[in-house]
Amino acid sequence: MNRKLKLLGLFVGAGIIGHVGLVMAVPHGLMSVAMSRMSGDGAAINQFVFGDRTTKDSRRVVRPSPDLAYASCVYDLSKGPLLVSAAPSPNQGYVSLSVFAANTDNIAALDTTQYPNGIRFVLARKGQSVPAGVQVVESPSDKGIILDRRLAPTAELFAEVDKARRADSCAPLG
Amino acid sequence: MSGKLVTVGVLVAGLVAGAASGWFSLQNGMVGGETYSGWSGSKVTGSVDADPWTRARVAVSGLLALNKSQAIYFSRNTDDSGARLREDCRYRVTGGALPARWWSITVYASDNYLPLNSDDALSFDQTEAQPDGKAAWSGVLSPKRPEGEAWASTSKAGDYDITLRLYQPTAAAQADYASIPMPKVTRLDCGGAA
Repeated sequence: MNRKLKLLGLFVGAGIIGHVGLVMAVPHGLMSVAMSRMSGDGAAINQFVFGDRTTKDSRRVVRPSPDLAYASCVYDLSKGPLLVSAAPSPNQGYVSLSVFAANTDNIAALDTTQYPNGIRFVLARKGQSVPAGVQVVESPSDKGIILDRRLAPTAELFAEVDKARRADSCAPLG
Repeated sequence: MSGKLVTVGVLVAGLVAGAASGWFSLQNGMVGGETYSGWSGSKVTGSVDADPWTRARVAVSGLLALNKSQAIYFSRNTDDSGARLREDCRYRVTGGALPARWWSITVYASDNYLPLNSDDALSFDQTEAQPDGKAAWSGVLSPKRPEGEAWASTSKAGDYDITLRLYQPTAAAQADYASIPMPKVTRLDCGGAA
């Protein structure tokens, strides 16, 4: 009886570890897959990659919005901070830059309502040296994703904002 | 069977059962949890305050979702009568002024991606249905294009759900989701009656 109780306790304990372990691991695992896809298996790190217009065939990340134009920068801060900027869209259309840590948390979101002349910030780990007088976003992880979202519900608007976003930058501090 | 082997077997079985229950708990997609007039939405989506289960659920079915300061997401897979949304039915979605700079409604298939149709109408948004952002508006969810109305195609969507995005929501909306006048989803007809 005593042994059966011990085995039951072992089963329940292992079950809790398995449950919590999987739940904790899933965000990191899926984020890793997304970073790999968005960076072309690591070929494009610390630079923006400009996505095509969202269609039924857009399958890199779940639940894309067909009304938005997306550009992504997979970042790696292990060698130092990045300077990130996004130019405004024509007619002050919606633009946001959002920063996601390796555990999927959205640690910052800046938009052109706050910054109508364009968004600009330094992305750094805590303790890294950054220039004075510039907005700083601190990432809790070396790696993550920056997303540029722009309102572009039609092909015509997509073409317009695509031109504007080519001025975006995501690069090591010079 | 030796006692050691039994112990290892119980340990492995527990880990597998626990992991399976963890995976099962993440399979409700974006529907479930807090609901507001039939729409599900979480105040901690994308937030650093999200609990591990919410974070994992969003990673599975809404990776890279913004926190509520930038966007609020609501999803549903039923109409206002509580019946499951069906690909072969037509629904009218109606609403009024929404407390955000811009909104959209998008159809997603059960795999959390856009339906594999070529209608070029995977969503409708404020610029299409409510250009002034204030007036009452309506749109149609159906497998065939309606005449002269905002439309999101459900062709090849299977057991689909819809997501309402509210971009740059007002402070009041962020503070109290129950204050948001949520759109209604009314079934018109089914089975090709359109």
